[in-house]
Amino acid sequence: MLRKFVDLITSLKLTIVCLAAAMALIFAGTIAQVHLGIHEAQQRYFQSLFVWWPPDGRGFKIPIFPGGHLIGAVLLINLIAAHAKRFHWAWRKLGIHLTHAGLIIMLAGGLFTDLFAVESHMRLSQGDTKNYTEDPRLMELAVIDTTGPEFDQVTAIPEALLRRKRTIKLGSLPFQIVVRNFFQNSRLRMLSEATNGAQPIANQGPGAQIAVESVPRATGVDDRDVIAAAIEIVPIDFATGATAPSLGIWLVSDALGAPQTFSCAGRTWQLVMQSARYYKPFSVTLQKFAHDRYAGTEIPKNFSSRITLIDPERAVNRDVLIYMNHPLRYRGETFYQAGFQKDDQASILQVVHNPSFIAPYVACVIVAAGLLVQFGYHLVGFSRRRRTALA
Amino acid sequence: MRVVGSRAASVSFVAIVVLMSGCDKADDQIKVYRIAKAPLDSTSPADADAAMPTNAASPAFPAGVAPTGATGAKTPPNWELQPPSQMRQASFLVKGENGSAADISLVVLGTAAGNVLENVNRWLSQLGQPAVNAEKLADTVQHLSTPRGDVVVVDLAGVPENGDATKDGRIIAAMAPEEGKTAFFKMRGNPALVGAQKEVFLKWVSSLRRAPDTSNAVDSSASRPDSGHAQIEFDVPEGWASAPPSAMRYASFTAVGGSGEKADVSIVTFPGDGGSDADNINRWRQQIGLPAADAAALNSMVVPIKSRDTGFFVVDMTGANSRVLAAWARRDGRTWFFKLTGPSSVVEKEKPKFVKFLQSVRF
Repeated sequence: MLRKFVDLITSLKLTIVCLAAAMALIFAGTIAQVHLGIHEAQQRYFQSLFVWWPPDGRGFKIPIFPGGHLIGAVLLINLIAAHAKRFHWAWRKLGIHLTHAGLIIMLAGGLFTDLFAVESHMRLSQGDTKNYTEDPRLMELAVIDTTGPEFDQVTAIPEALLRRKRTIKLGSLPFQIVVRNFFQNSRLRMLSEATNGAQPIANQGPGAQIAVESVPRATGVDDRDVIAAAIEIVPIDFATGATAPSLGIWLVSDALGAPQTFSCAGRTWQLVMQSARYYKPFSVTLQKFAHDRYAGTEIPKNFSSRITLIDPERAVNRDVLIYMNHPLRYRGETFYQAGFQKDDQASILQVVHNPSFIAPYVACVIVAAGLLVQFGYHLVGFSRRRRTALA
Repeated sequence: MRVVGSRAASVSFVAIVVLMSGCDKADDQIKVYRIAKAPLDSTSPADADAAMPTNAASPAFPAGVAPTGATGAKTPPNWELQPPSQMRQASFLVKGENGSAADISLVVLGTAAGNVLENVNRWLSQLGQPAVNAEKLADTVQHLSTPRGDVVVVDLAGVPENGDATKDGRIIAAMAPEEGKTAFFKMRGNPALVGAQKEVFLKWVSSLRRAPDTSNAVDSSASRPDSGHAQIEFDVPEGWASAPPSAMRYASFTAVGGSGEKADVSIVTFPGDGGSDADNINRWRQQIGLPAADAAALNSMVVPIKSRDTGFFVVDMTGANSRVLAAWARRDGRTWFFKLTGPSSVVEKEKPKFVKFLQSVRF
């Protein structure tokens, strides 16, 4: 039984099947971008164990094809297991060992990047200082206790929980949040402009004057969903754990600009739907954004951001120039010049935290060294044989 | 060899499967964190006053240096306290005649603060003056003996290009190294005003003492039984008996459970901020046999409760044999701790009374 299993995971056939499945997946995933958009297609096809198919009108999903993570992992297991099984140390095989090791590092690095890398943005107007980056494709409901004179305590609830959970109860909040409605993508209209007797889904704050309409998910590269939810705030008695009468229902959406305020348990709270934030132990100030053009034309020559990096923990306060192909690497994060606002007044830095960013470089060097050794070995052997034959 | 190879193949399979199962992008994790209300410091080193190689966005004061109110130094009456900046431990403005002014600051930096020569040359460049070498430096610096040790003092003059002579032209700076950190005291402004304030400034530098290290303080410290003259009032719940007073405690009570088991209620107060919340909670956790938790986990445990005239923060933690309900409030420069400790069953029964007790507290 074990032997059969080992034969299976070390077989070349499995490698071929995986490579063929990967080709089919890439083809299907590319076509799917037409309807799903690049990010959704990427998640469904490549960043998943299976590609799921939900039959129309049914409440369940069926896995119909292995996803990118599964194919990659099987390929990695296959490569390592085959190598481990057939491993036999000899100097003449050094090149093959090195090449395999490089491929393993490359595959593992790809998988780790997919699993652990975090990409976010930092949008800074000239003079702005921020100590957080944002993921524009991931929203969170921030429930902020603003009572303290010096600090705000933020409880950030990711959209995935709002989508899945009906009731959210947390130790840091003296109330529970009941999700009444959730819209993955929505259009908000003032009640006075809405048709067909639309009703508000909230009874507190500006949401009481707004009609929410569900719309299909955004698929364009630059489009994104407008998430909306109706949430009810139900106070909890700390001593007994019993719930008190509801304070009302609020509409939360990133389409509503300002935070909404309410009071509970003698404290002041704010609700705001915002892009997911990643706070950093350092801050970045945009001193100047430059958009250089070739003289006499509108053709861009260079984009650059002069920023000030301030890190109190490490006693760092320095100016850094970030421009094309010259990112700032700091504390495991890489800041690239990614974009700018049309009026050149704001710069957009892409911030990537990728613990395994070094893997492809290492893998390429090892594979190159392995191939050199392997071909070099054969070349030397060949020329020796030729010399002997000639002699 | 074949068996070894098969075993290695199986092990590599299991290892990767385990690794894969442990992988999870934390996209649906709830985060609890605190953010400072004060604006972030954006001072660039290229700016005139950016002297220091860092600021201090951290809300905590570095160990070893007291915040303004706890330095024990008397601030001259004509020094106007400025709003706190995240970079400065203390900040003052002193005004002279004809609109002249000088800015006074205390900043504490880590080991990267640089040596005396680097800092003096940076200050000189801020005043538009050429840098000096180590030889010349010896003529520039003076040493001041203070309770915090030897402090290096420099007095530099010069007006930078486009500088405003009413507010710039002279820097008197003092550097006090201590335990891997350096405290920078700096007065910069109109030359005449800075000269007039020099003596007062140096007195201030000399009189500042190091703050006691309060990171492990609060109610475990037997050396601080001080309740000062602060008084509070509260309603003692029915069934709680006053316990004999101790040097440490402001008040004590005993609550008895159904099986005769007892829970202890204590009120303790200290001047100042009473240590960080995280340190205190982790100490209480340790007392009931729980492991320390990280800041995010601790924040999620804290629940706010409103009393008649103030707000408390409360944590409820259960260990293997006991449970603790601890509440604290900071009021008028003091921190008050209220704790209910005992067997879980008794604490559970007494919890509603404890909450009512907290809500009855009047400062």
